[in-house]
Amino acid sequence: MTIQSSITRRWPRRAVAAGALGALLAVSACAGGTSIGETPAGEEVQDGQGEVTGSARLAWWGSGQRNEVTNAVADNFEAANEGVTLEREFADFGAYFQRLNVQGTSGNLPCITQMQGRQLNDYTSRDLFLPLDPMIESGAITVDDIPEEVLDTGRGTDGNLYVVPYGAAYDALVVNETLVEQAGSEMLPEDYTWDDLVSWATEIQANLPEGVNALSLSGGRPNFLISYMAANGETLFENDQLGFSEEALVEYWTMWEELRKAGVTATPAQMSEQPEQPEQSYVSRGVTVADTAPGNSLINSQKTLDGLGNGQKLVSLRLPSGEAGPGNVLFTSGFAIPKSCDNIPTAAAFIDFWANDDESAAVFASSNGAVTNSRHLEAQLANPELPELRKKDLELYQEIAASEPPTVVYPPGYQATFEESFTRAYERVSFEEVSIEQAVSDFFTEVNAGLGS
Amino acid sequence: MTDTTKAAQTALLSGSLPPDTPSGGRAMAPVDRTASRRRRSRREAWAAFGFLSPWIVGLLLLTIGPMLYSLYLSFTKYDLLSPPVWVGLENYGRMAAADPRFIDSVQVTFLYVVVSVPAVLIASLGVALVLNQGMKALSVYRAAFYLPSLIGGSVAIALLWRQVFGQEGIFNQVLAVFGIEGQSWIGNPNSALYTLVVLNVWTFGSTMIIFLAGLRQVPRELHEAASVDGAGVFRRFRHVTLPLLTPLIFFNILMTTINAFQAFTPAYVVSNGSGGPLNSTLFYTLYLYQRGFANLEMGYASAMAWALVVVLGIFTALLFASARFWVHYGDER
Amino acid sequence: MTTYAPVRRKPLFGRSMSRNKAVLAITRHFLMIVVLLVILYPLLWMVGASFRPANETFTTLSLWPGTFTLDNYRDGWTLGSFTFTRYFLNSLLITLLCVVGNVIACALAGYAFARLEFPFKRTLFAVMLGTMLLPYHVTLVPQYVLFNELAWINTILPLTVPKFLATDAFFIFLMVQFMRTLPRELDDAARLDGCGHVGIFRRVILPLSIPALGTTALFTFINTWNDFLGPLLYLNRPELWTVTQGLNSFLDATGQSSFGPLFAMATLSLAPVVGFFFAAQRLLIEGIATSGLK
Repeated sequence: MTIQSSITRRWPRRAVAAGALGALLAVSACAGGTSIGETPAGEEVQDGQGEVTGSARLAWWGSGQRNEVTNAVADNFEAANEGVTLEREFADFGAYFQRLNVQGTSGNLPCITQMQGRQLNDYTSRDLFLPLDPMIESGAITVDDIPEEVLDTGRGTDGNLYVVPYGAAYDALVVNETLVEQAGSEMLPEDYTWDDLVSWATEIQANLPEGVNALSLSGGRPNFLISYMAANGETLFENDQLGFSEEALVEYWTMWEELRKAGVTATPAQMSEQPEQPEQSYVSRGVTVADTAPGNSLINSQKTLDGLGNGQKLVSLRLPSGEAGPGNVLFTSGFAIPKSCDNIPTAAAFIDFWANDDESAAVFASSNGAVTNSRHLEAQLANPELPELRKKDLELYQEIAASEPPTVVYPPGYQATFEESFTRAYERVSFEEVSIEQAVSDFFTEVNAGLGS
Repeated sequence: MTDTTKAAQTALLSGSLPPDTPSGGRAMAPVDRTASRRRRSRREAWAAFGFLSPWIVGLLLLTIGPMLYSLYLSFTKYDLLSPPVWVGLENYGRMAAADPRFIDSVQVTFLYVVVSVPAVLIASLGVALVLNQGMKALSVYRAAFYLPSLIGGSVAIALLWRQVFGQEGIFNQVLAVFGIEGQSWIGNPNSALYTLVVLNVWTFGSTMIIFLAGLRQVPRELHEAASVDGAGVFRRFRHVTLPLLTPLIFFNILMTTINAFQAFTPAYVVSNGSGGPLNSTLFYTLYLYQRGFANLEMGYASAMAWALVVVLGIFTALLFASARFWVHYGDER
Repeated sequence: MTTYAPVRRKPLFGRSMSRNKAVLAITRHFLMIVVLLVILYPLLWMVGASFRPANETFTTLSLWPGTFTLDNYRDGWTLGSFTFTRYFLNSLLITLLCVVGNVIACALAGYAFARLEFPFKRTLFAVMLGTMLLPYHVTLVPQYVLFNELAWINTILPLTVPKFLATDAFFIFLMVQFMRTLPRELDDAARLDGCGHVGIFRRVILPLSIPALGTTALFTFINTWNDFLGPLLYLNRPELWTVTQGLNSFLDATGQSSFGPLFAMATLSLAPVVGFFFAAQRLLIEGIATSGLK
C-alpha cells in the first residue's frame, strides 16, 4: 500500500478527532481571549526577592558581534548561579519588536525584555511591565553606580522605573575631517551652534568637489529635531501631546529648506534611497561631509571609508547648541520585567548582575551604547587595549552625560506615530509637494491624534 | 506501463476520439440503473471527502478560526497588547472617509496591479515558449531564468536593487554611455513604483515554470497534425497550444493578480518598510502592516484586510464567470 | 509510447536547411546569454561582492571581486553561538517535511476537486479560493495564539503541520487546474479495468500530474526555504534557527552590519534551492514522456 492511499484510509477517523479539537481551539481563540494581554502577577507588589533558580527567557536585539557578547554575559550569569538557565531570543531591531508585539498578544513576553525609552510607554501604558522601584528598595537590584539622570530615562510616563538602563547612546555629528581640510576650511569650533553649522556648511560647499555635499538632508530625522528643540529650550512632549510650538518647527524646516535650495545638502531622492545601516550612509562613503549619526557608529563608518582607500578620516562632535545650551539627549537601552514573568527573582537577579558585574561589563564593552555604570565606564576608558575610536566615543558620552542632558519621556505611540509622520511630513516639504506651514499643521494634527494611545 | 494506462492511452491516441465515446461518469449514466447510479455517486462522495479530509481538517483547525477571528477584530479596536473593544463599523467608516494614506495606498496598489500583472504574464509566457523549443543546455537556461525568483524577497535584495536603480547604480551608468543623465530611480516618487514593477517582472520564474509545465502537456502529435495541414508557427500557437494552455493562463492571471494586490515584501524591503518616498510605494498590505504592527491598530488593519477580500472576491467571481467563454478543460466535451 | 512525448530537440520552426539551423541556433544562444547577463547582473554582482574584503563590498559596480578573499565565507559560516551548519540542517529538515506534506495533501485535495462529484463541491471550492484572499498579516496573530495554546512554540510543528493539512490553497488550485486538463477518457478506461478512486488517483492521475507535483514541490521548497516570518515567530531559540534567520542576523540598524558575510551566506543559501531546482526540473519537464507512461 502506498503512502498516499494509506493516508487516505486513515484520515477520516483522525479528521473527526482533530476537527473537534480544532473547533474548540478556534472558539477559545475567538472568545476575545481571556489570555490575551492578561497578567497573572496581579496587583501584588513584586520586590524581586526569592530563590534564583530555574529557567527564564532573555530577549534582545542586535547582530553578529552584539549577540556574541550578550551570550557571553548570559553564560557568566549561568555560571554564577547554579541551576539557572537563560533561554535566549534575539533578532535584529525591527524583527525584535515585531515578534515582541505578537508575543504580547498571548501574554508571552520574555521574562527579561530589552527595551528602549522610545518604545517603553507603548508597553507601560498597557500595564505590561513591573515597576522596578520596589526591587531596588529591597536590594534585589542595585543601581548605585548609575547616575540619577541616566536612570531616569528608564521611567514611564507615570514616573515609575520600568527599565534599568545599561547602555546610553547619543547622536553625534560625524564629520569628514579630510574633506574639510581639502575645502580649505577650519573644523567646527568646540562649542558650535546651529547658526554656526549652517554658515560653516554653506562656506565649505563652495569648495567641495562635484557630487559631494556639505550636509545630508536631515530635516526629517526625528533625533536631530529632538536635539534642536532641546537646545532651544522647547519641551518635546507634554501630557502625551507635542510640547513644542508649530512656529519652532516651521523655523527648523525653513532652515533646512534654505540649505537644500542652496545646494548644500543631498537631494530628497538621495535621502530616500540612503540605506538605514549607519555604516552605509553617505557620510560613511565620503560623499557627504557631515551628518548626524549614532555616536557608536563612528568606528564602523570609518571602516567603510577605509575600504574606499582614499585615506579620509572621520571625527565625531557633539550636536549643535542653541539658546538653552547643548542639545544632546541620551537614548538608553535596558531590561524590563513583564508582569507575566513566572520567574521574577531570576529576572531581577540577572538585571542586577548585568548592571554590576565587572567581568561581564568588560566583556560586553559598551556594545549597545556607553555603559551606564560609572565604575565600568572608568574601567573601560582606562583599558589600554580600547580602540582609539571607541575611546573617543566613550569620552564624548562622558562629556555629554556631565552636561546633564534633558530627560525625554516618550509618550505611548511615539515610535509609530511621531517618527514615521515626521519623516513623511518633511518629505512632503522637500519634494515640494506642500508648503512648510501646511506640512507643519498637518503633522501636528496627525501626531497629536495618534500619541498617547 | 500498466494495463490501465495503456488502455487509456489507446483510447486517447487512436486518432481523434469519436464523438460518442463515453466521457465521464455522467455520459455513461444511461447504461446504469438509477439505484446503482445513486450508490455510485454516494460512494464517490465518500471517496471525495476522504481525499479532502486533510484539507478539511486544516481548514477547521488552522484556517477558519483565525479568519473568522480577524473578521471579528475588524469590528473592534485592538492594540495587540490589551483585549479588543467592540466599536462596530467605526474602522470601515474611517477607512472610507478620513484616511488619506489609505486612499494613497489604494491608488498605488491599483497602478501596480494594472502595470505589473500584464507585464509578468507576457514575459513569463514568452520565455516559457522560447524555452519549450528544443535547445541545447536548456536546463541551464531554465534555471538561470528562475534564479532571480529565488532571491526576490530576501534581505539582500534591497541592497542589490540600490546597486541597479540607485543614483550611482548600474542602470544610470548604462544610460550615461548613451549620454542620458540618470536620477535616483528608487528615491524619486515618480519612478520608485516602477522599480518595484521591474522587480516583480524580474521574479517571473514561478509563473514561467507553471506555463512550462503546462506546455509539456500539449501532445506533440497535435502539433504534427497541424504542421502536416500546413499551419505556420503562429497559427499552431493560436489554435493548438493556446487553447490547451488556457487553464494555466487562467490560473496565472488569477494568482498573479491576487499576489499583486497583496504584494508586500518588495516594497517592505526596498523602502525599509516606509512605503516612501512620499507614499509612492505604499502598497495596500504594507500600509495594513504598518497600521497593525507599528501603530498597533490591528482592528483597523483587519478591516482593511476584509475590504481587500471583498474586492478580490468580486474580481475572482468575474474571472470565473468569464472562464466558460475562453478556458478549455480536458474533462469537457 | 513516444508519440505522446512532448516536443524535444526539434524546433517548431525548423523546416529549413541545416546551415540555416546552425546560424539560428547560435543567434538564439547569443541572444539568450545577453538577456541572461542583464537579468542576472544583480545576482552576479552579489557573488562577486561576497569575495571582496568586508569593507569594500559596495565600492564597485563591477562583477569581478578585485581583491579576492574567502574571509566572508569563513566569518559568515561561524557566526554567533552556532554555525551555519546548524541552520542549514534545520532549514533542510523543515523544508523537506513541508515539501512532502504539501505535495501529498494538495494532490489529494486537488484530485477530489478536479475529478469527483460530491455535495457542496462548489461551496467548498469557493471557500478554498476564499482562504487565499485574506492577507496573512491579519491571521498571523490568531494563529500565534492558537499555536501558543497548543504549546508548539519553539517546535517545528507550526511550520510543518499546516503543510500536511493543505492550508496553502494556491497549490490545491494549481493541482486542480492541471488535473482538469487531463482527458476524462483516462479515468473511464481505468474504471473499466476495475480501478476504484484510489486506483485511478494512483495509477492514472498521479503519474500524469508529475509536472504539477514537481512544480508544487519546487515552490514549496523555495517558499519554505526563504520564509523568514514563520521561523522568527515560532523558532526563538538560536539552536532552532533557519538559514533566513541566520542571514537576518548579519544586519542591524543599531549596531554593526556585516554585508560581506551576508552576501557570502546568501550565495551559499542559494545552493540547495538551485540543486533542488535541477532535481525537480526533471519531473517538471520530462513529466509525461518518461515518468508517466512507462
